[in-house]
Amino acid sequence: MTPSVQYHCPCLASAPVPPPPHLPSSSYSFHPLHTLFFCEECDAIRCNRCVSVEVSTYYCPNCLFEVPSASVRAEKNRCARNCFMCPNCRNTLTVVASDPPDTGDGRLTVPVSTVGEPPFYLYCNHCRWDSAEVGIVFEKPTGLAAQLQRYEDSAPDSLEFDRLKEHFEPFLRAASLPSSLSSSMAHPGSVVHPSSAAHSHHLHSSSITAAASAALARDIPGVGKYTPSLARSTSARAGRDRSVNKDEMAEYRSRLDITNASVVGGGGGDADVEFIKRVEKISSVASLEQRWGNSWATSLRTRDIRPQRIPLHSKRSKRCPVCTHILIKPEQKAQSVRYKIKLVAANYLPAITVALPHTFPTPETVKRGLGKPASASAANDRSNVALHPGESYSFHLALTNPLYDPIQVRLATPRVHATSSSSGTQEKARRPPFGVSIPTSTFTVAAFAEAWEYDEDEEMYWTDEEEFGGVGSNRGSRNKEGKSKAKAKSVGVLEKRANTTIVGGEVIIGKEARGRLKFIMLVQYTYRSDDPVPSESGEGGGADTKASTNKAPETKTFEFYTVIDLGEIIPTKLDGDPDG
Amino acid sequence: MDPPIYYSKAEFIETDTGNKVSRRATIAGPQNIILGGKTIIASGAIIRGDLRRSGPGHAVVISLGRYCLIGEGCIMRPPYKTYRGAFNYYPMKIGDHVHIGANSVVEAATIGNNVEIGKNCIIGKFTIIKDCAKIADNTIIPPNTVVPALALFAGSPGRFVEDLPESTQEIVEAYTKQYYTRFQPLDR
Ligand SMILES: [Zn+2]
Ligand SMILES: [Zn+2]
Ligand SMILES: [Zn+2]
Ligand SMILES: [Zn+2]
Repeated sequence: MTPSVQYHCPCLASAPVPPPPHLPSSSYSFHPLHTLFFCEECDAIRCNRCVSVEVSTYYCPNCLFEVPSASVRAEKNRCARNCFMCPNCRNTLTVVASDPPDTGDGRLTVPVSTVGEPPFYLYCNHCRWDSAEVGIVFEKPTGLAAQLQRYEDSAPDSLEFDRLKEHFEPFLRAASLPSSLSSSMAHPGSVVHPSSAAHSHHLHSSSITAAASAALARDIPGVGKYTPSLARSTSARAGRDRSVNKDEMAEYRSRLDITNASVVGGGGGDADVEFIKRVEKISSVASLEQRWGNSWATSLRTRDIRPQRIPLHSKRSKRCPVCTHILIKPEQKAQSVRYKIKLVAANYLPAITVALPHTFPTPETVKRGLGKPASASAANDRSNVALHPGESYSFHLALTNPLYDPIQVRLATPRVHATSSSSGTQEKARRPPFGVSIPTSTFTVAAFAEAWEYDEDEEMYWTDEEEFGGVGSNRGSRNKEGKSKAKAKSVGVLEKRANTTIVGGEVIIGKEARGRLKFIMLVQYTYRSDDPVPSESGEGGGADTKASTNKAPETKTFEFYTVIDLGEIIPTKLDGDPDG
Repeated sequence: MDPPIYYSKAEFIETDTGNKVSRRATIAGPQNIILGGKTIIASGAIIRGDLRRSGPGHAVVISLGRYCLIGEGCIMRPPYKTYRGAFNYYPMKIGDHVHIGANSVVEAATIGNNVEIGKNCIIGKFTIIKDCAKIADNTIIPPNTVVPALALFAGSPGRFVEDLPESTQEIVEAYTKQYYTRFQPLDR
């Protein structure tokens, strides 16, 4: 795997310090830059784990029809047009006529055309399942979902559910008044107080939860009731609540006796046992994957599984969890990839990439490879990607500035496991398996300018061989003189071109080191700010913004943590390691 | 930051618009193929511009946008079907910033902009791939599949895995432009 850089999102944690990167759980806190958002209001990084999400458009992923949200629920979140999933392999089914036209060349063809003789049926281009196998045929090739509605509506589970709904209808009507009152009572309290982020977050989510539970209550009476509102209504209207008492509801009589239900082939029981007893081929038993996408319990028999309408997809808006400002707002049109609002971290934070120059192919090695009959991609393959214990390697960090003003950057490698008190004693026993040196003085990354887009500019990339020769020569070198020379050369600012600055660092790997070479890097950058100095009221839940007061023009400093992963440390047999 | 990708200068023909086409690629019916510019056709690729709709005159069979890459050993073949009793090929249209990995077979009808297709994929006949979608390595997309915008598809048959990040367009654009710049000739 190539070296990578991921950015830390504190996810509203009180302390913005990232977890030790060697813990597997830390992967939840680090993200590639392009998946992160940035809230200008809070001056903080946000990620997909901490933003609030709302659906803005529903659409069918196959026919791409945009489904109005009003009909989504009635259509049970699935495409109500002509889109079905193969019950066997979940591929999208095609509508075909009874007699696929013969190509005349004797080859087997995949029927594509919908013209032809009725009856029509659904056919899978991938596994060749067809709906005639399960007795589903259509008189016309359009409006299939409507034609199949009777199968869906006559499913025993569906009928049972309708009956349950009917049964709870009086309860629902009685409960709807107090529940709507109490949920509106919750609203005045949900005013956002910017001073107390966590508090407002709680209130905001509780009003959303109340609304969601109210919505649920409309659908499934008695389920998903939000407890606080229930508690409030019992205390305030004890008299009325007697009518809602469970004991006073009429007894529910199920449509089917559970002991007979098994005959239908659904919820287990004797019918399934009988079937399993006679199984000859494993493929005649439907796999879990074939069954778990269904709304109801389905038969164990592969041949009983019906095609399902395709579940809808959605486009989503995203909001800052603290100040509720919109970070992402897609265009309404389902297949548009444009956004009305898109506040992504890549437009605010410097992009950082890391590379191990010793793994780069040199023109010499490529030349040798290109001479051979093997493909050019093989010739360009990265050689020597492994890191070995007891060696030192130089690495490059390229920082690219997305801002229209230059930034001053300062890097640091804080020891994160030293600050985590819980595992402190454990960590002390073990010496750090590697040491990292990076430039610690401030350096500049030039401003982004449209003209610098590398579109037409080929000069920006390495073409001269010197550069590779220079850095490549200290690869695996055990010569002490060579090493010290390399160090003087490789730690510091190496190169500046356009809005990118490349700095060099070095890592010395201990003899006992194993596993992935990962370390935390703190990045601080100062930029010119047009905003007035913010009051320190809005604690963004992580990112520190300090206004420097001494000089004009106004500058601001932002800092964030990253984790640099240089790759796997693999013991070398050549070393003659006694325990290796 | 990424190192150059070297190719043998003798092997590639560079056009006025910056397309780089390997002499080891098979370009059948070149008069029916449009390359948008700065597009790379790697060695061993086969592009079947000769499989055109029957009838007289000129016809665009395969059109590729700017900054595309047809990887090594890829086969690009226009889709065909028999409609009302007549067998015919149908054109294949591919947008800008589309990379197709090595040894993939593509018979799609339309591929949008900023689409990444991995190595060893089979993209079935008349497949429609919308903008900014991605097909993982070794995926089999059956004929007539629709891959919605910003979706990642993988597996056999290829199925929806997840939604791609909101900045996919910028990432793919930057990557394909960079790839073209990194693609450097080596004199021998
Ligand atoms: Zn987060
Ligand atoms: Zn549909
Ligand atoms: Zn199938
Ligand atoms: Zn915010």
